[in-house]
Amino acid sequence: MYYAGCDIGSLTAKAVILDDNGILASSLIRVKGTALRSASEVMDRVLENAGIRLDDIALCCSTGYGRFDIPFSDMHLTEISCHGIGAHWLNDSVRTIIDIGGQDCKVISLDDRGLVAGFVMNDKCAAGTGRNLEILARALNITIEELGPLALQGGRSQSIENTCSIFMELEVLRMYYKKMPIPDIASSITEAVARRVMALTRSVPINDSVCITGGVSKNSAVVAMLETMIEKKFVGLSHDPQLAGAVGAALYARQKSAREHVC
Amino acid sequence: MTTVFDEIGILSAATENSVIAEARKQGKKIIGYFCSYVPEEIITAAGMVPYRMRAVEPHGTSRADAYYSSMNCTFSRSCFDKVLNGDFDFLDGVIFMNNCDHTRRMHDNWRHSGKGPEFIHMLYVPHVITSDGEGKYREGLEKLVRELEKHYNVSITGTALTEAIKLHNKKRALLRRINETRKSPELPVKASEMLRLMLSVTAMPVEHANSLLERFLDALNGRNVSEPGGMRMMLAGGCVEEPEHLEMMESLGAAIVADYICLGSRYADRDVAAEGAPLSSITERYYRHLSCPRMMNDTRRRFDYILDTMKDYRARALVAEKLKFCMLFFGETFLYKEESKKHGYPLLVLEREYGDRTEGQQKTRIQAFIEQLRNFD
Repeated sequence: MYYAGCDIGSLTAKAVILDDNGILASSLIRVKGTALRSASEVMDRVLENAGIRLDDIALCCSTGYGRFDIPFSDMHLTEISCHGIGAHWLNDSVRTIIDIGGQDCKVISLDDRGLVAGFVMNDKCAAGTGRNLEILARALNITIEELGPLALQGGRSQSIENTCSIFMELEVLRMYYKKMPIPDIASSITEAVARRVMALTRSVPINDSVCITGGVSKNSAVVAMLETMIEKKFVGLSHDPQLAGAVGAALYARQKSAREHVC
Repeated sequence: MTTVFDEIGILSAATENSVIAEARKQGKKIIGYFCSYVPEEIITAAGMVPYRMRAVEPHGTSRADAYYSSMNCTFSRSCFDKVLNGDFDFLDGVIFMNNCDHTRRMHDNWRHSGKGPEFIHMLYVPHVITSDGEGKYREGLEKLVRELEKHYNVSITGTALTEAIKLHNKKRALLRRINETRKSPELPVKASEMLRLMLSVTAMPVEHANSLLERFLDALNGRNVSEPGGMRMMLAGGCVEEPEHLEMMESLGAAIVADYICLGSRYADRDVAAEGAPLSSITERYYRHLSCPRMMNDTRRRFDYILDTMKDYRARALVAEKLKFCMLFFGETFLYKEESKKHGYPLLVLEREYGDRTEGQQKTRIQAFIEQLRNFD
């Protein structure tokens, strides 16, 4: 039996196919114009990777902002629950997740079954998100992929005080015009983004075993900065942390199928 | 066949509903008012129709933004935008009160805009509940009576006030009976329908409202709108007046069975005493009814109300909402967090804009909260 998880976020769409033994295939693409187009394309790709057809999928669960708009999905669950289920399955010691996606960031606490015990999301603006990093990287005329390695080379970072992404961009441009070295500016950006994320931990405290998921988990500088701030090393996951939500969705579909089968 | 639920759907969606339009045709004056401290009885006793101000059928905030800053709440800006658009031209007067700085400023802006009506009155209500404060509030009501009498050349007699008290007490009693039905495990009415009902009955003559409420109560008999797995919840907040927002919550599995919102159970709290001098009885009821966070020394009573109501209505969790930049509910929801920890009930605090401009984010929070609650089943 095959189970699919389809996570349609604001910047990327992810899909995972599970069978009874584990992850069979996964796929990640940049989002298209609509949730449906993104979902269709990412599913086509993951089905091709797995060498199966859509009809072979027993159950599909969708998640992410586009979760309501996917006709081939049998159920939907929030990305908060899916990241909990997925991250806990990929490392069962995980009790806290810092999930930084394109449009929002979340701190999620889990119980020992991997179920959500509490969560908090950014609700003021885009600061502390992947989109925020992208805007600030663009101000330096570099890609988001280049930002992390550059920031790790940076020496002295300078505090970016504004919370608003637009005003943060102005501060970055001011540093640029003052000829501050690019690696130092990149370091300042990652430090500012990490601080916005840290503000959320006042509502949901960080437990001992904490992992990071979402697209920003690929940014080595933000990860390092957050580890410094929380004074802990993130625990690793056995699969790509950006896919944790899609993995959780596929697992939920598999659990649901098992429960229905038992009943 | 049109049902009473269809009827409230149509009435609540219109700024000037058909009942108000008919009342105007019959020569009735329509008086807009803000907030729960303005006694409708005084307006009714003056022979006029009380109309609770609202921002349904919004046009956005672009006109109002010329008067307000973006750090004012979107209810005030949406409502004032409608003023500037002429949506409230059917009003013969407006009574403000100093509820919060945002609506307080609307009083200044409305006057400055030159958009009628001639009668724009500010009722001063103290921010604390004390015996001195009650005296001050009483003075404010006496002044309101005098101003109405003078401006409209009417007489607000004791007999008329007593008759208005009877009518409005009946309205409150009917609303309480309707709310009581929501204690049942088989929910006869949805929160979104309750809000449509409230929007309807606060924009029509009280006699018509009472008739509508009686028909609504009859229609609940034997009705069950419970959804399988619906999560019983209480909703707290100030300005929640978009039924679509509650429908969105319901579509995600929320069964809102009780509330502490302006257009909810607070409105029907307590009767005005039938005995004694009518203006004294009105003063006592409106000054000391279940307060909103503008009353600075009544927090404990509000928290106890929420706790007791959650128990009575078997609500599993509290959803507390505030509009961005609402300072009153900003402070109150902060304290809710302490209360929920102390008494062990799950709490979700939502900050949003009027008109659900960030519906996607709201959906994720509400659905995740319900999923979290189900994890403990």
